[in-house]
Amino acid sequence: MAERKVTMRVFGMTCDDCVRTVSDGLKKEGADVLSVSLEDGMAIVKIDDAKISAEKLVKASVFGEESHYKAQLRKVE
Amino acid sequence: MAQEYDLVIIGRGAAAFSAAIRTSEITSNQAAIAMIGFGPIGGTCVNVGCVPSKYIIEASKAASTQRNPRYPGIEPSDPSIAFDKLMESLREAVKEERKSKYEDVLKFYPNITLYEGKASFISSDTVKVTSKLGEENVKGYNFIIATGSSPKIPQIEGLEEIGYLTSDSVWSLNELPGEVGILGGGFVGLEIGQALHRLGSSVRIIKKHDTIARGIEREVGSELIRALENDGISFLTERDIEKVYRRGDKKIISTKYKGKSEEIEVDEILIASGRKSNVEGLSLENARVEYSDNGIKVNDDFSTRNPLIYAAGDVVDQRYRLETLAAREGAVIASNIFQHSSKGVSLQEVPWAIFTEPQLASVGYTEDEYNRNFGKAISRVLPLVTVPKARILREDTGMFKIVADENTGKIVGIHVLAPYAAEFIIEGVMAIKNGYTYHDIIDNSHIFPTVAEGIKLTSQSFTRDMAKMSCCME
Repeated sequence: MAERKVTMRVFGMTCDDCVRTVSDGLKKEGADVLSVSLEDGMAIVKIDDAKISAEKLVKASVFGEESHYKAQLRKVE
Repeated sequence: MAQEYDLVIIGRGAAAFSAAIRTSEITSNQAAIAMIGFGPIGGTCVNVGCVPSKYIIEASKAASTQRNPRYPGIEPSDPSIAFDKLMESLREAVKEERKSKYEDVLKFYPNITLYEGKASFISSDTVKVTSKLGEENVKGYNFIIATGSSPKIPQIEGLEEIGYLTSDSVWSLNELPGEVGILGGGFVGLEIGQALHRLGSSVRIIKKHDTIARGIEREVGSELIRALENDGISFLTERDIEKVYRRGDKKIISTKYKGKSEEIEVDEILIASGRKSNVEGLSLENARVEYSDNGIKVNDDFSTRNPLIYAAGDVVDQRYRLETLAAREGAVIASNIFQHSSKGVSLQEVPWAIFTEPQLASVGYTEDEYNRNFGKAISRVLPLVTVPKARILREDTGMFKIVADENTGKIVGIHVLAPYAAEFIIEGVMAIKNGYTYHDIIDNSHIFPTVAEGIKLTSQSFTRDMAKMSCCME
């Protein structure tokens, strides 16, 4: 097990409800959400990479084909 | 400090626009996109490719129809052609198309920033943009290289000294050249050659081989050459060009033909020797992007050796150089980057056309290709004159050829030389994409009388003798 801090760019958020939806979606995947910013479209989370990888997190269902939210990795520390 | 973008697109033609718009759609216009390029916006197709060439082809067709009416009772007459006015209207049409389909479209995407200048990679995630205003660095989290292609100029002694036209520069003409020598006989040479011929030039196409280009169904290509010869264009094949030079007002093309020297005197030379990918100046080695003289090497998902950098359109080392393919690749890459897909494009399902009269349109494998790769093709060829609508049009040069898998009957290639062929080849695309057999084509009603009906008739010829069939026979 290794704890990672993951910074990701999130597209498609337009209101506080969007921030909540994205945060809930990340938590559902087991991420510890540190921040989700509507202003700059960034999310910072902590993950246990034995449970979910950063690469899988940006493909979580909240960012899936049907969702209008999309995410890309920016930094994994 | 470099300006940062979610996506940096180098180029601003069909692939670039398609990628930028699709990315904007996927990300709700939130992806910050830089689009870097120079020259007229819109790339080859709208500025110096499909749009002006189709314009002059249609104009020349109008002149040709007046000179050679197809129907008895309609008398021929020589059209009065003001070439300068025609070319002025062509340039105006290009300007309008560029404005409506490129410049105006950008207004809907505030997330796209245009950079006027030349980009070169200084690292795997940063380019230096050089413009009249100076230099600035642009950093990207993802890149798409979509810089297109340019006419390939052969190394011929004297060519630079005496000057020549290409498919880039021919649109600036205001005076119709009397005699034109076209070096190379690919798509561009045939299309522009027939247009200039029909407007009044004397056109000779000078080339090494007696075929049009690699990958064209041989008998369909030969029939097109025959059609163009009937139209009045001369094909001088088996010529090796040794040098060109000026003699008075004329340009002389010095060739070797069957061991003897031969001089061809023309007023203007048009180079139509294919196209080369625009990779010069990009410093791709700084970004670890692999390329060759044929273009950038890509994986099935259009990523390059550097996984953050993709390439689309004419700059890619691939079989076809088509605007439609470039645009499709741009959109696919946007999805691959921002939706984490890994889509590709099947070139066997991509149609292409030569807009001569008659038109040549094609999709899928030639019979030789399929036999070489899979060893089990069957085919049928239907002469155009057996299609009732072609007889009504009084068009007798052309043919339909369908290639199918011998075991399954599935259609793997459709090649057509006929009026409007480019308009209906899409039936072939759908057939190949969906794995239709010739029976599936037969089982659908086609409109009578249309030239497109030829696809159904050719399908029927796999199982029946067409001479024994009445009109619209199912």
